[in-house]
Amino acid sequence: MLAKPVDEETRERGADELRQTWKTPKGFRYWTAVNNSEIGKWYALSAFFFMMCAGVLGLLIRVQLAVPGNDFLSADRFNQFFTMHGSAMMFLFAVPMFEAISILLLPGLLGARDMPFPRLSAYGFWCFIIGGIFVMGSILFGVAPNSGWFMYPPLATEAEGIGSDIWLLGLSFIEVASIAAAVELIVGVLKCRPPGMRINLMPLYAWYVLVVGGMILFAFPPLIAGDFLFELQRSFDWPFFDPERGGDPMLWQHLFWIFGHPEVYIIFLPSIAIAAMVVPTAAQRPIVGYSWIVLSAVGTGFLSFGLWVHHMFTTGLPSMSLGFFSAASEAVVIPTGIQLFAFVATLMVGRVKMNLPMLFISGALAIFTAGGLTGVMVALAPFDWQAHDTYFIVAHLHYTLFGGMVFPLMAGIYYFFPIFTKKTLSERTGRVVFWLMFVGFNVTFMPMHFTGLMGMPRRVYTYPSVLGWDLLNLISSVGAFIVAAGFVLFAVDLLRPRGKQPYAPRNPWKAGTLEWSHYVPEENWGSRSVPYITSRYPLWEQEGIVERMDEGRYYLPDAPELKRETLVTTVLDARPIQCLRVTGPTWITILAAVFTGGAFIFPTFHWYPPAIVCGGAAIACVIYWLWTATSQIPEKDKDMRDAGLSLRLPVYASGPASVGWWGVWITMLGDATAFASLVFGFVFYWTAKPDFPPTGTEHALVGYLMLGVAALVASWGSIYGARVVNRQGKVATARALLVAAPLLAIVGSGLFYLSVANAGLEPASHVYPAIIWAVMIWTIVHTGGGVIMQCYCLAGALFGKVTPEHDSDLWNVTLYWHFVCLTVVVAGLTIGLMPRVM
Amino acid sequence: MAKAGRDEERRTFAEEADSLWLITFAGSIWAVHFVLCYGATAAVCAKLGGDAAAIATLRLALGGFTLLALAGIALVAWRSWVQWDFLDDWDYEHDMAEKEDRHEFLGHASFLISIISFIGVIYVSLPVLVLETCQ
Repeated sequence: MLAKPVDEETRERGADELRQTWKTPKGFRYWTAVNNSEIGKWYALSAFFFMMCAGVLGLLIRVQLAVPGNDFLSADRFNQFFTMHGSAMMFLFAVPMFEAISILLLPGLLGARDMPFPRLSAYGFWCFIIGGIFVMGSILFGVAPNSGWFMYPPLATEAEGIGSDIWLLGLSFIEVASIAAAVELIVGVLKCRPPGMRINLMPLYAWYVLVVGGMILFAFPPLIAGDFLFELQRSFDWPFFDPERGGDPMLWQHLFWIFGHPEVYIIFLPSIAIAAMVVPTAAQRPIVGYSWIVLSAVGTGFLSFGLWVHHMFTTGLPSMSLGFFSAASEAVVIPTGIQLFAFVATLMVGRVKMNLPMLFISGALAIFTAGGLTGVMVALAPFDWQAHDTYFIVAHLHYTLFGGMVFPLMAGIYYFFPIFTKKTLSERTGRVVFWLMFVGFNVTFMPMHFTGLMGMPRRVYTYPSVLGWDLLNLISSVGAFIVAAGFVLFAVDLLRPRGKQPYAPRNPWKAGTLEWSHYVPEENWGSRSVPYITSRYPLWEQEGIVERMDEGRYYLPDAPELKRETLVTTVLDARPIQCLRVTGPTWITILAAVFTGGAFIFPTFHWYPPAIVCGGAAIACVIYWLWTATSQIPEKDKDMRDAGLSLRLPVYASGPASVGWWGVWITMLGDATAFASLVFGFVFYWTAKPDFPPTGTEHALVGYLMLGVAALVASWGSIYGARVVNRQGKVATARALLVAAPLLAIVGSGLFYLSVANAGLEPASHVYPAIIWAVMIWTIVHTGGGVIMQCYCLAGALFGKVTPEHDSDLWNVTLYWHFVCLTVVVAGLTIGLMPRVM
Repeated sequence: MAKAGRDEERRTFAEEADSLWLITFAGSIWAVHFVLCYGATAAVCAKLGGDAAAIATLRLALGGFTLLALAGIALVAWRSWVQWDFLDDWDYEHDMAEKEDRHEFLGHASFLISIISFIGVIYVSLPVLVLETCQ
């Protein structure tokens, strides 16, 4: 059947339909686009812009430090600059850049038309750009955060001005975008692979995306929980980190670094994933040790969560505790080393072409190895006690980040540029860029090892001449300008107009993976037809696959209903199970992001009423977006789609077969992690403080609490029951349960609130009542969201959006309520039972 | 007979949802062991830091728990080794478009992760072995 040619007319018709369906809006409507190719480009360029801003800050820092006793920057401005340099590089460049590149590449790698939730990507991007401009812009007004990128209390909680609030609220807002992207990418990898691409054939890049997506889900939520507590302290004076009222600044350090260390690997792994794509192409052979690389990605993912305290070796924790983290820090070297060895082995057995991307990868390996070796040194607590907070650490972290992130990323940009723009970057300029960066980098950061060992501390805005640091600092500053020259040259080459430049060849590096079946000149349909995959390097090993894709001889070669579609397959063996209709251009995501932005940004200035209005409007936008565009019941007789090659697939899916269900499940895993972090806080106070709970204190009222928990569990039972009986066709009973569920939830939430509010617990007086209030608020916000969702299902049932056959909304909301139920029970036990037995 | 063989093959290489989870088991055991070591030590050192007997008990308990964790990981490793079935066909590439390759690949990856986790647990247990006080 595959060999049968498609006649000219059918082929043209299919291509026209696809072109029409997937066309990018023109004029001012261009900004309503949600295509992965557009969103990815905007995302990447914005992240690049923020990187350049943060780079300028770094350069100004180096100017200030070039000579002793310099007064180029004031101390306060210097503090703002190094805080923003770190924060922007991490939150506005490194993580978003990974998401941008993955959104750009993943559909191509998987032969998919688009990601499963295009509008979610768009929403994430708009949140990112609004939050990014807000946080970055603060520096122009001289009000930027100035307490270091880790915002340690009490410095950050006591800091005057709105700097700390800008950091907390602005970056929390951006973390929402990161989690949205993680959900999108995980579901994309698991469910949108082309038929036949079993999990053992998946491109390595996809493996890394899967691992990193999972890490984001467990790493970012602790920080969000920390931000929540921190902002409650800044706004309402609840003393979570104030030792005089029972709080403890160490809790922030724990929550921050439970995020902060995996973060390093969240940045490193996707970049090394780029290397895993470039290296086989340069060697012109499959990667050596595919299973070993998967092992190292997954192994690093796990072990990186056991390292956080190595940022806290000097805080006076028991030495036995330090030992655990020191040991885990050394253990993580094993999987990290394995992947580097696999690359080297691939290069050794292949016929290597030293192309420009490979040059950057070589630079990356050299620099990262040096950074890794100093990492092994500082992972040993006694050495760290000496080097902590000196320029030795600055040198170490820049070696790991440049070697582990910047250089592989540069390799990736040169390598994948023809896919993004259909043109190439200049090879000659690229080599100059490489040498400027490589030499400049080493000139800047190599001397810092010595300045650090000679005792120069980080974050000092100037130093006296007598200490012997002068020459080394001057060399570092000169080096910084060489790196900067490299970046400027790169930016010029990246952004210069390319109107007259001829198109790049379709597969210029002779790579073997599917993304190189892209179209030159550009077509927006992603993949002309979705191929059947039987190999890890289909372009090398499946003869004629690109020609067949082009001719529309595989799946979904047309779009007769002019609706955007992509294939959904099973997780392990990629059996096609659904033809998913994906969403198209819209303004609603921009509106939703603007209002979400308002809800986060207004509280910075303590303007709560407009923040609440914005929050409400954001919820309304999201409801409108979901109601009009997701889980649409297909038109009559169009519930099956002929996907080509005799494959007929349902258009609608619900439960675990649908991508929406996976999206909810993954989001809630992250949410549960944030809640677990709050409970960790509760237990932490108990271990760290002799007076927690304080003697003679009031407790949450058990009667109210038990009744509240019971009502909320009953509400969960009702929504679960509604899903079950609705499936059985008992529509009336289902509706009755759907009416009961939100009522029970409202009553339960009220009782839960009263159990704390009526108990005489004064949150500003001591950390014990404060954390009880925090757990209660967290729970009620979730049950409140649950009520809205239950009402959404009820409305769906009444207006024909939810029927016994089409019940995906009910499945998703029930899944949400499984997590709410768990949250409610754990919250009840935490604030009701635990303090009484402690 | 042939039919029974085919059925068994179908069962073995069926799209078992649990085999993707298998690659997370060993790492999770490492994580639980790690959290328990850290949590128990933090609690004992904070509440009973000066009490030598309490610390001796803690070290003994964590030692026992370490053996348990190692046994758990060894079990996962054995399961994965059986699933990999290396000695059957000496396949370590698993790059064919067959259910058997997918099945064995997941076993292979999981086996390797078990080894890393095993080493990780031993590393993390060393402080318990050598340190006698909280300080």
